[in-house]
Amino acid sequence: MREQRSIDTKPVTSRLMRTPRSIDIEITARCNLRCRYCYFFNNPAMEYRDLPANEWLDLFDELGSLGVMQVTLAGGEPFIRTDLTEILESIVRNRMRFSLLSNGALIDDRIASFIAGTGRCDYVQISVDGSSSKIHDSCRGEGSFDGAIRGIRTLQRNRVNVAVRVTLHRNNVCDLENITKFLLNDLGLASFSTNSAGYMGACRLNSADLLLNTQDRQTAMTTLLSLNEIFQGRISANAGPLAEGRMWRRMEDARSQGAPSFSNGGRLTGCGCTSSKLAVRSDGVIVPCNMLAHIELGRINQNCISEIWQHNHDLNRLRNRHTISLSDFSFCDGCSYISYCTGNCPGLAYSIMGNAYHPSPDACFRRFIEANGTIP
Amino acid sequence: MNYLAKPIANPVVVLREEFDDWAVLFNPDTADAVGINPVGVTVWKQMDGTRSIEDIVSVVQSNFEDVPEAVHEEIVAFVQMLEKNGFVGLALKSNI
Repeated sequence: MREQRSIDTKPVTSRLMRTPRSIDIEITARCNLRCRYCYFFNNPAMEYRDLPANEWLDLFDELGSLGVMQVTLAGGEPFIRTDLTEILESIVRNRMRFSLLSNGALIDDRIASFIAGTGRCDYVQISVDGSSSKIHDSCRGEGSFDGAIRGIRTLQRNRVNVAVRVTLHRNNVCDLENITKFLLNDLGLASFSTNSAGYMGACRLNSADLLLNTQDRQTAMTTLLSLNEIFQGRISANAGPLAEGRMWRRMEDARSQGAPSFSNGGRLTGCGCTSSKLAVRSDGVIVPCNMLAHIELGRINQNCISEIWQHNHDLNRLRNRHTISLSDFSFCDGCSYISYCTGNCPGLAYSIMGNAYHPSPDACFRRFIEANGTIP
Repeated sequence: MNYLAKPIANPVVVLREEFDDWAVLFNPDTADAVGINPVGVTVWKQMDGTRSIEDIVSVVQSNFEDVPEAVHEEIVAFVQMLEKNGFVGLALKSNI
């Protein structure tokens, strides 16, 4: 930032919910896999340890009293916890719904049946990164593809709603058509979502092998936009090549037509999560988002969640990030897309630039164009 | 709707009150949510199975200014909507 100006840290109570609607929880630091681009491991901000179930149960009692509606359990691998049913029962008892993010390998009929029986599960999301074990296992380890597919079929058999996330990297861009047919036709999923490996956690050690380059990104974008037309919108994305393809098309159309700024354009509006959710690390530290695990807001069962939500200085500073103009950054000098740009993910901005209050270079349209990328 | 019925808020439904006095009713069993205004919040809090619609109308009339003449019909419609969507049950008058 050229001029260091103070960021408003006043509470934004006029439009802020009284309490968060949802909480993302890393319920364990343990995992049966070591995926090469996992955002969770190799994070210097993290203390990799698990809390006993009673600490989580106390937290869920507090969340229930605050009217929190939804909890997402991730990790690590949440199904590695032998006390998972006790944890889920507590969520249900406190009148909340839940989702789980998993690699699928540890899911058996017993736990799938239990989840179905709660009636409160929005979905269990399984990561599938290839149409074959050769591609999937290249980054997730031997046997992981079979485990993921076994997990999906177990959930389907027990009538649990299954979501699948495909993370794109250099090894699976050329498999996208096969992946799509495998998931939508062979496994019979209604839809799946995509993103791409980001420069975070373990991926920082393997970025040269894994991160999409301009050509990969363009191939992924073109393929996914085309497949999504063929499969009538059954592929979704909030980040990664499909989301970028859509957004960059809009930005290019707006720029070429001299359209007015987008309502969220020209400022650091890249993420609105801080207005509706919080996150908790596996060691019980409360953070704004799992992608911003270094911003420690407090600790569960020691600090009051509603107090943090309404008054924490760092959280309110992050919420007011949208007041920072992209024109304040030399990074954005001369960019003709500035009025249509949101500055993108603050988590990636922090991971790449060491500063969450900076535009993220990762999804920068101008950089893509300057590297000879073209939008389909 | 039986006008003698005494509505009971479904105990599983969560009332999320917000800063501007509006609120969200959330049914975790169905994932349905509905936004309600401050009058709706007052009505919701009265639905404990001991108060009739007439009782609830009286509470609203004594707690809000400029209450419209059609308040009774509006509250009945509101409770019916909640009942239809599983947010409310009705305690019927016992003849025993």
